[in-house]
Amino acid sequence: MVDQLPNRGLELEMLKEMGMSSMDDLFSDVPENIRMTEPLALPPPQSEEEIIADARRLLGANRAMTEVVSFLGAGLYKNYVPASVFQLVTRGEFLTSYTPYQPEVSQGMLQAMWEFQTLISELVGLPISNLSLYDGSTAAAEALTCSVRVHNRKSTQKNTVYVSELTPPDKISVMNNYCQGAGIEIRYLKHNSDGTLDLSSVQDAAGSCGVYVEQPNPLGLLDGGYPRIKEIIGQNTALIVGVQPVSLGLVEAPGNYGADIVVGEGQPFGSPITAGGPIYGIFACSKPYLRLMPGRIVGRSIDVDGKEAYCLTLSTREQHIRRHRATSNICTNETLIALMGAMHMSLLGPEGLHHLALRNITACNLAKQKLMEINTIAIPHILGTHFNEFIVELPASAADCLEYLDRVGIIGGFDASRWYANRTNWLLVTFTDQTSAEEIELLASHLAAWSTEVSQ
Amino acid sequence: MSRLFDFAGGVGKGYSQPDTILSKDSVSLPENLVRKELPKWPRLSEPEMVRHYTWLSRRNYGIDTGFYPLGSCTMKHNPRVNEVIAQIPGIADIHPHQPEHHLQGLLSIFHEMQNMLAVCSGMDQVTLQPVAGAQGEFTAVRCVQEYFRSRGEVQRTKVIVPDSAHGTNPASAAMAGFEIIEIPSLEDGRIDIEALRAVVDDSIALMMVTNPNTLGLFENDISKASEIIHSVGGQMYYDGANFNAILGRTSPGLMGFDAVHFNLHKTFSQPHGGGGPGSGPIGVKSHLAQYLPGPLVKKRPIIGDDHKYAVDDMWYGWFQPENSIGKVQQWHGNSGAVVRCWAYYRRYGYGLKEMSEHAVLNANYLRHALHREAKKAGVTDMFVDGAHTDIAKHEFTLSLLPAKEKYGISAMDVAKGLLDKGYMAPTVYFPLVVPECMMFEPTETESRDTLDDFAKHFIEVLQEDPETLHQAPITTPVRRVDEVYAARNLCLRHPFEDE
Repeated sequence: MVDQLPNRGLELEMLKEMGMSSMDDLFSDVPENIRMTEPLALPPPQSEEEIIADARRLLGANRAMTEVVSFLGAGLYKNYVPASVFQLVTRGEFLTSYTPYQPEVSQGMLQAMWEFQTLISELVGLPISNLSLYDGSTAAAEALTCSVRVHNRKSTQKNTVYVSELTPPDKISVMNNYCQGAGIEIRYLKHNSDGTLDLSSVQDAAGSCGVYVEQPNPLGLLDGGYPRIKEIIGQNTALIVGVQPVSLGLVEAPGNYGADIVVGEGQPFGSPITAGGPIYGIFACSKPYLRLMPGRIVGRSIDVDGKEAYCLTLSTREQHIRRHRATSNICTNETLIALMGAMHMSLLGPEGLHHLALRNITACNLAKQKLMEINTIAIPHILGTHFNEFIVELPASAADCLEYLDRVGIIGGFDASRWYANRTNWLLVTFTDQTSAEEIELLASHLAAWSTEVSQ
Repeated sequence: MSRLFDFAGGVGKGYSQPDTILSKDSVSLPENLVRKELPKWPRLSEPEMVRHYTWLSRRNYGIDTGFYPLGSCTMKHNPRVNEVIAQIPGIADIHPHQPEHHLQGLLSIFHEMQNMLAVCSGMDQVTLQPVAGAQGEFTAVRCVQEYFRSRGEVQRTKVIVPDSAHGTNPASAAMAGFEIIEIPSLEDGRIDIEALRAVVDDSIALMMVTNPNTLGLFENDISKASEIIHSVGGQMYYDGANFNAILGRTSPGLMGFDAVHFNLHKTFSQPHGGGGPGSGPIGVKSHLAQYLPGPLVKKRPIIGDDHKYAVDDMWYGWFQPENSIGKVQQWHGNSGAVVRCWAYYRRYGYGLKEMSEHAVLNANYLRHALHREAKKAGVTDMFVDGAHTDIAKHEFTLSLLPAKEKYGISAMDVAKGLLDKGYMAPTVYFPLVVPECMMFEPTETESRDTLDDFAKHFIEVLQEDPETLHQAPITTPVRRVDEVYAARNLCLRHPFEDE
C-alpha cells in the first residue's frame, strides 16, 4: 500500500467539497482518445522494509571500490569524505530546499555558496567562481563556448578553439555536443613523445578563441610548459585549464600562470564517486568573462536595514530571464554536492589541502619506484613529474592484465586504449590519498607475476 | 553571524590525516609549477565547522521546514530511506569505468528504470544519461537534429516554443543551433492552434510543449498540435517538468510526442539540495532511439559463468546506440539520483497513478480553499484565476493584478508576507503571460490541514495593511534583500583584508 499520501482516505470528502464525486472528474479535461485505459504495467507498491532489502541485495552484489584494492582513477578519484560532511548535508534545511528565489529564507545556502565561490576562487587563483556546473566535462565544454562568446569578435580564427589531443574522448564528445550548435570548430594541440604539450603546436592556436589543456594532463603528468602558453596565444585567446583540484595543494594555481578560466571535476572534495554522479563541475574565471559565463552566482548585498545579506546576482545571463539568448541552458545544477565540497575544504584548511596533495604524490612516487623495478614493464613518461597517476606500458594488452588482476580481487587501473585506440598495452594506474604502501606492494607483485608470465 | 572566513585559527587545529605514506624525501616539482602561496582557506576545528554549517542550515527553508508550494518545481517530500540507500557502497563507491560484472545490481536497477520510464511515458527507449531537465531537453533536441541530418532534411532549422514555456526550452534549442519561433498562447496559456498553423512549414524541426502547461492546464488540443507538426514532417517534444500530473492517466506517447525528458528529481523525488542535483533522462520513440547518448542497459539470459555475478537469471550489459550523438556528460548520468528515484518508484509501483491523482487533488483543493477563504473574508476582489478553467492539474496560477491596481499590493509583497507566516512563497512572475502571477504547486505529500491553514494565512496576508505588507518580511533572518545593490556593487567572494 502506498504510504506517502497524507490525504489517503479523505479523497471523497475533498472532492465533494469541490462539487466532484470521483478522481475521474479531476481528469475530465484529458480528451478520451488519449486516456490511458489500462493500469500501468508495473509491480505493486512496496514497503520501506522491502525496498531497502532489495536495494541491499542488488547494490550489495556490486563490487564497491572501498571493498577491493583499486588503482582506477582516470578523472574520478577514491577519496575520504569526513563523517561530519555527510551528517551536515542531510540536514533537511539544506537537503530539501531549492533554488533560492526567496533570499530572505535562503540565507544559509546562499552564504554557503558564496563561501564556496571564495574557496574555489582562492584554490585556482581567479577572482570569480560560479556555484557549480554538472561535472568537469560540461564545465570544460561551457568554458569553450564562453571563450568564443568573449573573443570571437577580435579573433583571427573565428569560431575556433584548440583542445589537447590527450583529452579523453568522452569529454571531447561532450565538447562537440555543446559546441556544434554555435558552429564552433574544435582543433587539436599536439604532444611530445615525453607526454608534454608541444608548444610549437600552441603557436597555431594564437588568434583562436580558446585553448583547453589539463594540469595534470590525462597521462597524469604535471606539465612545466603551461606557464608559457599565455604569452604564446596572447590576450585575445582564452587559456582554459582543467585541474584535479587536490593537486593545487602543491601545484601552482593556474590563475597565477595566465589561465583565464579554470574548470575541473570537484569530486575529490566532498563527494563519493557515485558511478560518476551526482558530482560537481568547477568553473572559475577572470573578470572579462564574468558577464558571459554560465551558471548561477551569489553576490553579497544588504537588506533594507543595511544588514549583510546574500542573493543570486547577474541573473540576466540565465535562461529564466534571457531565454534563447542565455549564456547557458543550465537551471538545476549540483549545489548540494558543491556544499559537500565546501564543507570538506573548510575542514581541510590550507595545510590540510597541502597534506592531502602530498599523500597523493608520495603514493604515486612510491608506486613509480616499485613498478620501475619490474623489468618486464616500462613507464613511458618516467622522467616527468606525475601527481597521482601514470601510464605503465605492459608486455601484453591492458585488457588482459586487468582481467588477470580482477581474478585476484584487484581493480588494476584504466585500460588507456579506451582513450587512445592504438595504445592497447597502456595501463593508467592511480594512487590517491587512500592508497597504502601495502597495496602498492601487492600491485607490484601481481604485475611482476603477470608480465613475466606473458613475456615468456 | 557566523562567517567562514573569520575562522583563521592556528596551523594544525584542523582535521587531521594519517601521514603513514609520507616519505622524508621532499617532493620535487618543476620549478615553475611549485605553488608559492597556499589558498587563503579558513582554519576550523571540527566542532567549529559543525556549528558553522548548522547555523547556516537554520537560516534556510526546506520542505522539511514547512510547506513549499513553489510552482513548477514539484517540492514533494523525499522519503528518507532513499538517502540511506544512496550511501550503500554498491552505489556510493562505484567507479563508472568498472567492468560489467562488478555492476550487475546497479545495471539491473538502470534497466528497471529505463523500462519504468518507458511504461509511464509511452516511449520506446530511455537513456538515463542526462543529469538535469535542461540537459535532457538539449539531449533530445540534439537527437532530433541528428535524425533530420541523417535524412538530409537540413532545412529544418526552427524550433517552435509557446511563449508560456519554461526558459530552458528556448535556451536548450538555441544551444543546439536552432532558430526559435515563439508563438503566442491563448489567454489561458493553451496552444493557439491557429497561430501554430500559421508558422508551420518544412523548416520546422521540432515543437516543444509542456503538458499540463505552465499555467497548470491540460492542453486538450494536444493531439491536433501533434498532427499539425507531424503533417509538415516535424517532431514533437514533451517537456516533462509537469509529468507529476498525469502518470497512469495519459502519456506523452498517447498525445503523439516523439521525445520526452523526465525531471526525475521532481516526479520521483531526489532532494533538490538548494538548486541541485537533479536527473533528466529522456525517452524517445523507436525512430529516434539510435541517436540517444549511451551507454544504455540491455539484458539477456545468463550463460556459462554469469551466475557467479548475476543478480537474477538475466545478464545486464551496456550498449551504445548505433548513431549516438555521443556524450552529454562524461560518466553515467546522475546514477545516485537514479537509484534514489528507483527506491521512490518502488514505493508506488503501479500506484504512481494514485500519486498523480493526489497531486491533482491537492492542487484543485488548494485553489478551491483559497477562493473559499477569500469569500469568507470578503476579499474576492483581490485576485483572479490566472486562467479561466473549471479544473487545474497539479498546479495553478492566480493573478494578483486586482490587488495591485486597487491597493498597490504586488505579487512580490504577498510572497514576502507569506514568508512571515512561515511558508515558502509560490513561484512569482512566471509564467509571464499572467500579470502579477503567483503559481502554486502543493504536491501530493501535503495534508488537507496544511492546505486549509495555508489558504487562511494567504487571505490574512491579503488583508494586511498595504504599507505593512510592503515592509514584509520582518521575521526572517534578513529582510528584503537589495538585488540591485548586489548587481551594482559586485561582491562575489570574501574580500580579504590585504586586498
